[in-house]
Amino acid sequence: MNVLGFVLAIISSLLIPGIITITKAKMSGKKGPGVFQPLFDIARLIRKGNVYSTTTSVIFQIGPIIYFASVVVALLFVPFGQYKGLLSFDADFVFFAYLLGIGKFMMIISAMDTGSGFEGMGANREALYSMLVEPIFFILMGSLALLTHYSSFYDLFVHIHYDSYLTYLIAALGVYLLLQIAMVENSRLPIDDPKTHLELTMIHEVMVLDNSGFDMGLINLATGLKFALYGGLIANFIFPVEWSLYAQIVVFIMVNLLFAVAVGLMESFRARNKLAKNPKWILMLSSISLIVFLCVIEITQKLL
Amino acid sequence: MAFTLIILLELTLLYLAFTERVKRFIFILMVQGLLLFGIAYLHLKQVNTLEFTFIVTETILIKGLLVPIFLNRLRKKNNLERLAHSKLPSFVSILAISAAIAFGFLLSEKIHDNDLQSKFFSASIAAIITGIYFVIIHRNIFTHVIGYLIIQNGVFLLSLAVGNEFPLIVNTAILLDIFVGVLVLGIFVNRVGERFEEMHIDELAQLKD
Amino acid sequence: MLVAYLLLAVVTSGAVYCFRNRTATLLSISLFLVGQTVLTVYAFCHLNERDCTYFTFDSLGVILSSVLTILSFATFYHSYLYLGRQSDNKRNKSIYYAALIMLSASLNGAYFAEHLGTLWSFIEATTLCVAVLIYHDRTNHALEATWKYVFICSIGLAVALVAILCISIASSKEGVSDLNLSTIIAHAQGMDTIWIKITFILAMAGFSAKMGLFPLYAVCVDAHTVAPAPISAFISTTLMNVGFLGIYRMYCIVAQTDALPWANKVLMIAGIFSMSLAAVQLLKVKHFKRMFAFSSMEHMGIVVLALSAGGIGYYAAIFHIVLHSFAKAGLFYQIGQVCSVYHSYVIKETGNYMKLNPLGSIVVILTFISVTAIPPSGLFISEFMMFKSLFAGRHYFVAIVALFLLTIILYVIGKRLMHLLYYKGEGVATLEPVKLNNYETFSQFVLLGLIFYLGANPPVFLTDLITGATAILK
Repeated sequence: MNVLGFVLAIISSLLIPGIITITKAKMSGKKGPGVFQPLFDIARLIRKGNVYSTTTSVIFQIGPIIYFASVVVALLFVPFGQYKGLLSFDADFVFFAYLLGIGKFMMIISAMDTGSGFEGMGANREALYSMLVEPIFFILMGSLALLTHYSSFYDLFVHIHYDSYLTYLIAALGVYLLLQIAMVENSRLPIDDPKTHLELTMIHEVMVLDNSGFDMGLINLATGLKFALYGGLIANFIFPVEWSLYAQIVVFIMVNLLFAVAVGLMESFRARNKLAKNPKWILMLSSISLIVFLCVIEITQKLL
Repeated sequence: MAFTLIILLELTLLYLAFTERVKRFIFILMVQGLLLFGIAYLHLKQVNTLEFTFIVTETILIKGLLVPIFLNRLRKKNNLERLAHSKLPSFVSILAISAAIAFGFLLSEKIHDNDLQSKFFSASIAAIITGIYFVIIHRNIFTHVIGYLIIQNGVFLLSLAVGNEFPLIVNTAILLDIFVGVLVLGIFVNRVGERFEEMHIDELAQLKD
Repeated sequence: MLVAYLLLAVVTSGAVYCFRNRTATLLSISLFLVGQTVLTVYAFCHLNERDCTYFTFDSLGVILSSVLTILSFATFYHSYLYLGRQSDNKRNKSIYYAALIMLSASLNGAYFAEHLGTLWSFIEATTLCVAVLIYHDRTNHALEATWKYVFICSIGLAVALVAILCISIASSKEGVSDLNLSTIIAHAQGMDTIWIKITFILAMAGFSAKMGLFPLYAVCVDAHTVAPAPISAFISTTLMNVGFLGIYRMYCIVAQTDALPWANKVLMIAGIFSMSLAAVQLLKVKHFKRMFAFSSMEHMGIVVLALSAGGIGYYAAIFHIVLHSFAKAGLFYQIGQVCSVYHSYVIKETGNYMKLNPLGSIVVILTFISVTAIPPSGLFISEFMMFKSLFAGRHYFVAIVALFLLTIILYVIGKRLMHLLYYKGEGVATLEPVKLNNYETFSQFVLLGLIFYLGANPPVFLTDLITGATAILK
């Protein structure tokens, strides 16, 4: 049964990028490519061989693989309704965050390994935004841990009881924050436009500029997996744990679908932030998570 | 439910720190007016009907509609700039207002009360500190008026905390304050706008030794 | 009675504003002044009685109201002379008189207020009236001062309103159902100390905008500089008294609880800071009215120090307020005359006043002696009592710092006023003695006489009133 959650997450990871592209196309009045187009692109990339620049070292060759592996292992932690993830222990959300951090770190140093100042610039910005996003995630999960007195992902989500308006507010703010964290981590709008190739404004795209072939395919797959990761976490907020298994499967699929559509809508109707505004915007999210923390202290009547 | 609305009020204060456009400030004032209407409606249960309708109409009409419309008209008439330039960057403002919210919360914890009044107090102190911070940071007189109205919102929130016992006098005082605020300040913003073209507070700095 | 008085004020000010000829103005103003005197005498006869549910004729109110009555006679007279020297804009003059009448009425309402909400509303009304009066000159300077005054006073009064709300939260826990001062004072002992402390500090911060104390003193100073001279006299005395009244009422509430030592410390810090800031700024001031505004700030610091010291300091505080009102008013009226001679308030452009206006110079010397508390001035008695209470309470350091600051202030004011009187430079040696109305200085002699008399031999009813006002603190 735990495997079922994992399998559903993998399936949704394959479909989410396609749904996002279709939503964006429909919103612009275009017909759009098919849902499976990103999959075909990934398949094409995986068949090709790699081209490695002569200035790079072994780090550039192992970076994407470690990144992909870290995302897959992180996916093993996400619970599915009343079933634990394939890996679950106390305080595993800390391990989860730093696992994703290892992946990101490998990407950053592999970008710097190419010796291009251009990629270094992108890596620099990516590092800054990840650093600013970290407190949000920890404060949010920490508040939930304080609320439910448990500390593993599975226990946290199973034991949240929606008994007052305040917990609904906390859940709503939590979903919003996870949504925005997903946008930041996946380098989507309003932080970074994946379509822009204006040199001074690229962040993630410029980091992976030198990767090609199999590595690039892995990186694209990892993007989809990260979407599924956050989609799974958001779905957990919304699952009522008492429902039957089939109902939970349906809820999971619906939430991921809605998540993809929401991402597509947000991207269609929003302009990308001015670069100087990005740290400010992420700091705003930290303040919102601080308010979640204060709400939780209010509910539990505990002062640290 | 009232407490949830109070938390939403604190979120609007954070948004005030984040945004730079003058139009958004007025929009936030309108949202705060609506939230205050909700809090007033939900909290004041023990007041008799006449005073209750007075308070509720006052909140939603004046705070929620008339004051923002009046400010918008002033803004268009004086052709204000779209962006409000402040002396400190927005980054610092967000940190400062988060600190103010945390401070209000800690202060209310120190009061050792379990009932709703200390929660009202924390949000109102946060709003008052935000309003005063706003007045200090910005240089335009129009934004000073907006900061003053945020202070008014904070004071009104606190008056709702005792609204059940002392209904009419307290709310009449609030109404008087709003009249002073908007009418007198509005008149002066017009006069000052006529005399000094840019309405910068730096122009009004000549009374020194 | 008070409702009748307020109605009279509204009617007379409306009459002054609508009918702009001389007889109507004279009639309305005299009617108002008569009504005010009647109110004060009535209040004195019906001491400590409730009136119209929201007002009480308590001792402090009667004291301050009689000061207001005496000063309003003088202010209206001097305003008439001052406006007579200016251009003949009837609309501005009528607005001036109407606002002055409303200001006196609101001040009286605030002095006698029993309900905290009433007190606050009347003080808010005084802000509006004062703004109209400060703006009388319609210059850019006046606009700047008016804008700052209205804005910061409104913020200060919003903070004071938060203080009132905190005290009502604290009192609603005790089951008190109305906001009258006597009820709150009666129930004050059981109230939560934290709320009382928050109330007091917010009230201090809020009312300091009116009183000219440490946090928000800048607006007071600017307002007194820019306003016309009779108005400066009026607001530098009676308006600061109403700020003192607000702080005093809160202090009476705090005095019943355990927070009293803490409140005394806060008052002492505010007092010392006010005095030191006044002394520092006085060293570089170049404008007469600004100098006297800082001197008022320093005197308010002394009052607050006396209040914080306790014992005989309570008597000293109220006595000092009364005497300071008379002294400062006399000084400002005389400065109005000085301006009519030199057409400027800047100190450098004045001098040789002894030759130009001997009678006025005598007034300047005598008021200098009064304001800087040199004996036989009454202010010497009150400051002496204040230092006595400070030493008795073992606040040696504070007392020595205060004495040092007073010395500096005495030096600066003395130096500037001697410059006014005796300086024989090129610019002023050629001015001719101006023919001034002899009766103009009469009011100042009356005020000076009052100061010396009250200092030397205060009448029994005054001492009884002051002791009655401070009885609640024992």
